[in-house]
Amino acid sequence: MKALPLSEPVMLVVLSLAEQPRHGYSILKDVERMSSGRVMLSTGTLYGALRRLLAQGWIERFAEDESPRDRRVYRLTSRGRRNLQVEVERMRHLTRLATVRVARREA
Amino acid sequence: MIHLYRCLLHLYPAAYRHEFAGEMALVFLESERVVRRECLATRIVFCARELSGLLSGALREQTRTLVGFYDCVPFGRFDMRPEFRFPRSTVFLMSVILAAVVVAIAKATSIELKYGATLETVWPSLPWFLALMLGLVCLTVVIGWGILFAMRRTGMHRLANLQNGHEQR
Repeated sequence: MKALPLSEPVMLVVLSLAEQPRHGYSILKDVERMSSGRVMLSTGTLYGALRRLLAQGWIERFAEDESPRDRRVYRLTSRGRRNLQVEVERMRHLTRLATVRVARREA
Repeated sequence: MIHLYRCLLHLYPAAYRHEFAGEMALVFLESERVVRRECLATRIVFCARELSGLLSGALREQTRTLVGFYDCVPFGRFDMRPEFRFPRSTVFLMSVILAAVVVAIAKATSIELKYGATLETVWPSLPWFLALMLGLVCLTVVIGWGILFAMRRTGMHRLANLQNGHEQR
């Protein structure tokens, strides 16, 4: 799985979709909210990330009935959710390791 | 603004444009509508972010279309992180460089005035010199890129192995 580890913006996009299916603008706003305004994606960056996630099968998109023609909704696939679990586990391991090492250094 | 955005979308490959351009323009319109109510500084930052995102995205996608993948170009290494700040010394160093350039131009002007007549003999060799310099710069860039690529490959391999081990478990 060459896509891992995820960069912070892509991780935030995936986390945004882990909660519920969203369309592009909603993802932008959610990423901004989750990072307390620290990560503000441009549309070019967002759609670059979405294209790659689509190509790798992490997410899928569909059209909503009442939405305008160009507005598509993205959701995490089961593969994407599995990969996210792996990534979260990796980060958890890293955090545990860092905590132990820092504590050992301070002691 | 949206007209400029739509024009710039033409920098993307046709297939990508066909798939995402309408959606991107729609999202841009929604973001712009919100930003329009903000102060001038916020609007400028928004435009700069959108422009840089669009241009870097177009470059990535064009590279992917031409090469088949863009892992060969370590763009990620050069992505400006939101938390990135230039060190304070940058302003000082850039001022020094600017001063040096101005002094060099002044010096060159005085040399030209002093030895203008004899400089005629130098001009024929100048194109060769410039071509040589260009070649050297290209070589340096290729070597630098090769080193960066090799470093990135090494890191990716290790991470890929780690990941595969994880999956096997």
